[in-house]
Amino acid sequence: MSELAPASYTLEYPYTRTTGPVVGRFLTALRDGQILGVRCRGRVLCPPLEFDPETGATLLPEFVPVGPGGRVVAWTWIAEPTRKHPFQTPFAFALVLLDGADTPLVHAVQAASIDEMSTGMRVRAQWRPERRQAITDVYFVPEAKAREQRLEPGKGEVEMTEHLISLSYTEPLSPHRQRYAKGLLEGRFVGQKSPASGKVYLPSKGYDPIERVRMTEKDDVVVANVGTVVAYTVITPVQYYGQKETEPYIRASILLDGSDQPLGQQDIHDLPIAEFRAGMRLRALFRPAGERDVTEIDNRWGGTGSVIERWEPTGEADVPYEKIAEHNW
Amino acid sequence: MSAEEIAIVAFAQTPAVREYPDSEASMLMDLTNQLLRETGLARSEVGFTIAGSCDYLSGLPFAFVMNVDGFGAWPPVYESHVEMDGAWALFEAWVRLQMGDVDVALVAGSGKSSPGNPREIFPLQTNPYYAAPLGLDPVSVAGIQARALLDAGRARERDFAEVVARSRRDGMANPNAQVAKDVSVDALLKEPYFAAPLRRHDLPPISDGAAAVLVARGDRARQLAKRPVWIRGIDHRIESSHLGLRDLTDSPSSRLAAEKLHIHDGPIDVAELCVRFSPEEIVLREALGLRPSTRINPSGGPLCGHPVMATGLVRVVEVARRIRDGEARRGLAHAASGPALQQNLLCLLEGGA
Repeated sequence: MSELAPASYTLEYPYTRTTGPVVGRFLTALRDGQILGVRCRGRVLCPPLEFDPETGATLLPEFVPVGPGGRVVAWTWIAEPTRKHPFQTPFAFALVLLDGADTPLVHAVQAASIDEMSTGMRVRAQWRPERRQAITDVYFVPEAKAREQRLEPGKGEVEMTEHLISLSYTEPLSPHRQRYAKGLLEGRFVGQKSPASGKVYLPSKGYDPIERVRMTEKDDVVVANVGTVVAYTVITPVQYYGQKETEPYIRASILLDGSDQPLGQQDIHDLPIAEFRAGMRLRALFRPAGERDVTEIDNRWGGTGSVIERWEPTGEADVPYEKIAEHNW
Repeated sequence: MSAEEIAIVAFAQTPAVREYPDSEASMLMDLTNQLLRETGLARSEVGFTIAGSCDYLSGLPFAFVMNVDGFGAWPPVYESHVEMDGAWALFEAWVRLQMGDVDVALVAGSGKSSPGNPREIFPLQTNPYYAAPLGLDPVSVAGIQARALLDAGRARERDFAEVVARSRRDGMANPNAQVAKDVSVDALLKEPYFAAPLRRHDLPPISDGAAAVLVARGDRARQLAKRPVWIRGIDHRIESSHLGLRDLTDSPSSRLAAEKLHIHDGPIDVAELCVRFSPEEIVLREALGLRPSTRINPSGGPLCGHPVMATGLVRVVEVARRIRDGEARRGLAHAASGPALQQNLLCLLEGGA
């Protein structure tokens, strides 16, 4: 069978942060068209800080308007911007010493080319058409290119900032994880039996973590599709960012017969919660061959992708607690 | 109170590679087994384990927990983790061994940069209000630092290229190097800019890799190694997270760490510096007051291989190896974290009984 496609996934966190009295005032003024510095022992710091950077003492929030013009004190030309940069075409990052400030602000300068950039050049802040109450509400341009802007002030003080972190990862499945995923596509659970301890790991990470030995394809074993619930919880979904569930459901760890490592993260939606219990015997019913999908499987969490239609009670007597105590937590 | 004598008794590293085809834990397992084999120690005789890694790099919350597998999850011992380069894990292990109840500690650093995009990940370690939303990445900050050096008359672009040419040439003798070649300064200067005034070759490669060391207290170290490498001092210092408050042409935190360690009380035969961008070597050489007699980055340094979260600990390994092999008597390892050398760690190593 050919290699499975690399695992690709996106990690996202929507961070919301309180701003406090200094950053909040700065971002509020910035949204409304003014850049503020803060006084610190005779100097003006921009961006404003809550504390004296040399002593750590709390600063009185004594704000001073600075800019919108300033001078570039150091810069770099970004030939290949990242997706996270303020511009998707080449631009400069620069330390900009705003008029009236004593410390430079790091920010982006939009220039036609690197030839427009020089240390000491004058730049001026420009506001974005859509302001989001963030440092990215402005950018800088060479002063001669600056346009006059009329800004409608926004409403209220900026007390929170929102910053969605979204990162993409792509990684080939490691060889043992490939064989596990291919097994699932074939309707089988492929684990690995440690040559050192005889314990069977499912899914295997390619090693025995207790004995510290690597395992290879010759250590692969197929385990049963019948097993015992060794632990479970009932999750009442909180509607956080990215949540897909709406109703309470069971998340179970199931120790398949012939395995020493429970298969975790099994979400069960179609068995009565009140009747669910540790010790219960279940059988995995696989989806029809053409409907099994393992694209969600990566090298990190094992999971079973979308290959299992449902877990069905076998009707056998429950396994007593003593026999599963090692796996019950 | 004087510090307990602590020595490195064994060390190991993986090669730096563009893409390692298995987990960080599996790399750590190979290194752990190598260290135990070399010293004859049983896993149960290691009283403390600590790793440095980065969950954002791995792309998974609590990824560091899986790395514990690499040390062997059983029997349980005192275990710790830093979301820092393994060199900072070494610092914590050094502190932990001072307590006296543990004799031997296992320290590692590991990272796989291959699955993600480091330029998108590392802005997240900058100020979350003023810098992170700009996507301000380490390469861009290094570009600003390079410009500041040029404008201050502290370096020419040719100086950056000379660092690269020497490092990449030295890397040819390093079996763990990912990028190494013999290339002239003039040829390098003909390359296009990437983050002007930096060119691509002024940047480190994107690497996967890991390093590990075993450290032990005084007499235990003498039992475990024929030639223990003594940690004569270890110190780390940090500068402001606000770029505008820093003098990017200097490294006051490195200088302060060097003073605390009295590095100039004796000759420094070798220094392995965490030069992730070529201009950083110029800043560090001056801040540390290194003399021409000190051999800098004979391994080629991070410009030849940059397994983030292990790169600093690899510097320790490279110095320790040269001391153990008798190529050097006294050496300095440097690790860095954050943009433009924001945070710096120095570890002074010495041979002898």
